Amino acid sequence: MKSVMRRPAPSRRTVLAGLGAIGALAALTACGGSGGSDPTTTLYTWISNENDRAQWQAFIDAAKESDPEFALTLEGPSFENYWTKVKTRMSSGDAPALLTTQAARAQELDALLAPLEDLAEGAGVDLSQYNEAMIAGMTVDGSLRAIPYDAEPMVLFYNRALFEDAGVELPGTTYSMDQFLDNATSLTSGEKYGLAISAGLVHLGMSVGFANGGSPVTDGALTLTDPKIVEAMQFGFDLVVEHEVASAPAAVDSEPASQQDLMNGKVAMYVDGPWMYQAYEDALGDDLGVAIIPSETGEAKGLIQGSGFGIASNAQDQQSAFASIATITTPEVIGAVANSRGTFPSLASQEERWAEGKLEDNVAAVTRLAHDGEPLITTPTWNEVDSKFTQYATDGFQGNRTAQEILTEIQEAVG
Amino acid sequence: MTTSPLQAAPAKSPSPRGPRSQQRHGFRAASPYLGPGMLGFALFIVVPLVASLIISFFDWPLFGAPQFVGLENYRYLLAGDPAFWISLRNTLIFAILYTGVNLAVALGLSYWLMNLGGRWAAFFRVLFFIPVVTPMIGNALIFRLMLNDDGIVNQMLGVVGIQGPQWLNTPFWAMLSLVVMSLWQGMGYNIIVLGAGIAGINPSVIEASRIDGAGAVSRFFRVVFPMLSPTIFFCTIMTVIGAFKVFAQPYALTEGGPGNATNTLVLHLYRNGFSFDKLGYASAIAWVLFVLVMLVTAVQFSQQKRWVTYDS
Repeated sequence: MKSVMRRPAPSRRTVLAGLGAIGALAALTACGGSGGSDPTTTLYTWISNENDRAQWQAFIDAAKESDPEFALTLEGPSFENYWTKVKTRMSSGDAPALLTTQAARAQELDALLAPLEDLAEGAGVDLSQYNEAMIAGMTVDGSLRAIPYDAEPMVLFYNRALFEDAGVELPGTTYSMDQFLDNATSLTSGEKYGLAISAGLVHLGMSVGFANGGSPVTDGALTLTDPKIVEAMQFGFDLVVEHEVASAPAAVDSEPASQQDLMNGKVAMYVDGPWMYQAYEDALGDDLGVAIIPSETGEAKGLIQGSGFGIASNAQDQQSAFASIATITTPEVIGAVANSRGTFPSLASQEERWAEGKLEDNVAAVTRLAHDGEPLITTPTWNEVDSKFTQYATDGFQGNRTAQEILTEIQEAVG
Repeated sequence: MTTSPLQAAPAKSPSPRGPRSQQRHGFRAASPYLGPGMLGFALFIVVPLVASLIISFFDWPLFGAPQFVGLENYRYLLAGDPAFWISLRNTLIFAILYTGVNLAVALGLSYWLMNLGGRWAAFFRVLFFIPVVTPMIGNALIFRLMLNDDGIVNQMLGVVGIQGPQWLNTPFWAMLSLVVMSLWQGMGYNIIVLGAGIAGINPSVIEASRIDGAGAVSRFFRVVFPMLSPTIFFCTIMTVIGAFKVFAQPYALTEGGPGNATNTLVLHLYRNGFSFDKLGYASAIAWVLFVLVMLVTAVQFSQQKRWVTYDS
């Protein structure tokens, strides 16, 4: 006879114990997500590499000079991922109250950033001392969203030794596109190229287009097909395809490789921002040269890409958060960071500190672009534009499509 | 008339409770066991599914107030977004190539391992399975270095006098690179599953076919394949579903480029949701993908009677 055994149903105590265990586990999981740090002293920012981390640490160290108790916790992904993750991070319950933005992306982060005028007035911060162009760049819908700490024009870094070895005259505060191309050709031989190129949107092509009077955004609307921008982007493609003075950038994440090529002496020139000055100087020493971005006329016009500190619009204690910002944006702190890290300051009064220890012609080139420049102001859809361009740029650098075709497609898709 | 004790005893009813009462008792007994699983299913599957359906009718930014737009996201998806159709085409190409080659090679290798037997078979099984447990992002970074224009692959080809193509910079080779890397990573799983299926075939059946004079090819197609068909069917279903969800490979290896040549549905979805701030549109893409995968799976199930035999 087959006996059927029925297992007894679990007792209420067993069920409650099980539910208790699940609850405890859930509580532990919830605890794991938060670092438990004070949001008003936590900064969400981009930390792509040691250079970025050193820059943020320089702010903290400089602030501690006047306030030894000052503390700031850093948190964040790489620069490329920052623009994707910042909105998600700021939506969470334990979001930091402080975040960074580029002037170029202030429009895009509009909803995340709290207006700062009243807070600045309450804290006695004089906003008129900061770079006017940067304040304009950080202003969205008539209100200031971030206090700028730098005002950095894209510049042309070069390797003096390679120029001198090739017998090429060093570029300076005037530099035409024809001269630039001649130099790049002279500097290309064997496995060494005249320059490195990144596939990113705001690099050589965009900087040259800007210097020639073009703009990718006009009156708040995308104008990627501005003839000056298109011509300059095509110029960038042609440097690889037609003139063969640069190798085609990698399909993905091309910037670090290009930066390494400059630092390793594999290429003579690379367009980047002064925020990389210290890293390049560490690698090249006195061989590091800086020139203006080449233009049709040879005159300088800088594409300024400054960044600043803002407060999350959903932060509970915005006054305390602003106190943290006020501490790291004093003239002393900005000057100290400019001096130690090479970031071009957003305060005219600190330009001399930035210039200390730098070669005179390098200082002249950066200063010229900073003073004769305009901030890149973009649209809320800029991340989409940037992503699509990076995706399509490969076609341009392979000679498969023209800049006109690529930019028109992006313009039509994003509008 | 006397009655035996057995006869005197009252007729015993099957249970003191009725069927409904039994059902209730059974539910009470089962619920503590099923509860956690069902709770997880409801919280992590049903609620997100319903939420994403609702979100798909909104213009829903990551940060800020959503706005109801009705079917606009679906209209744009079907009639206004060329990248959707390109990513759908790419996903289909990837799914067909990946599934076809994966199953064919995994089947061949598992059959070969069965014939090889012994320690070498065990060694190769481990070898083929190692990529499965490695993180895809790490694999993609290594493949990126290998497949760069001046990477190790082209350098090796150069040694033998062949100028390698631009693996990641031309549409055809980029898609092929994507498939090859995915195969390298994913094939080990099917090799193990199919190997287990082959091991479950009664050896006497194989032996009988051998005695009957069936050659290796004939034995494979007429004996092994039919008996293995339920396992192959399982592998096909899982591989197709996995192929439709491909994301990490194009994200890390090609970023969907050059152009949109390797942009897949899930990458397109991710970008719209988390890079372009269009959660509503991303949810609409997710639902189209969901329906598509369900349809493909349903078609596969409907056709299984034609070639899957469950007689052992």
